[in-house]
Amino acid sequence: MFPEKPQLSINIPSKTDLLKMIVGITKHVATLNHFSNSDSQKIALAVDEAITNVMKHSYNYKKNENVKLEYFSNTRGLKIKIIFRGIPPIFDTKSVDINKLIKRKRKGGLGVKLIKSIMDSLIYKTVDDINYCEMIKWKKKK
Amino acid sequence: MKQFYIRSKVEDKMGVIYLKGHLDAHNVGRFEREVLKLIGNNIVKIVVNCNELTYISSAGMGIIMGYLDEIREKQGDIKLCCVNKRVYEIFDLVGFTEIYDFLKDEQIALNKFKNVS
Repeated sequence: MFPEKPQLSINIPSKTDLLKMIVGITKHVATLNHFSNSDSQKIALAVDEAITNVMKHSYNYKKNENVKLEYFSNTRGLKIKIIFRGIPPIFDTKSVDINKLIKRKRKGGLGVKLIKSIMDSLIYKTVDDINYCEMIKWKKKK
Repeated sequence: MKQFYIRSKVEDKMGVIYLKGHLDAHNVGRFEREVLKLIGNNIVKIVVNCNELTYISSAGMGIIMGYLDEIREKQGDIKLCCVNKRVYEIFDLVGFTEIYDFLKDEQIALNKFKNVS
């Protein structure tokens, strides 16, 4: 069980120029929680992808919306919760075929594939017009 | 503070795009414009030199993916070179390493194009 109170909570406006900062913070939080450098970098990328999706699909790149991030940790892993309004995300649950994306000349579609490859769990839900994205990365057993 | 730098050159009808720093959804438009500039000038043999690329998200990879079909239809290709281990791991996660040539240096990548022209 993760604690109810987050280890860290951040509110940011939906501006893409803040993505690099969020990557830095997330990498730092993961490293503090004893993930390897390589895993911390990947967890940070997963958060970048999830927030980029929020800014693009839920907020249509409007810069005056808000995104809240909460980091929860325990000895077994790290849970990151992203809370946002706007259009609820709809993601294809089928696995992404990169060859089909190339044939369709698609530039998008890789973000969720990356998140699913990196994180052990990814859940999206909407409650009372508020959207939640929860992802968990467990530590490797030694 | 700038977080991403891009420049390109054309040599023997082949284009080389140099990526430096942190490439994400914020600055991906600059990468796309550089790719479109080369395609617009009928340069479709493109090497993306990632020697100084420290980070790439799916936004950047989407540009490499989204124009590949058009480029291959024009008998061109995109090859990547000088990718560091951490960035290579990310390309590998999405399956790029099975679709694109990853070469250890720029000259090898350019020579591969010369060998098939």
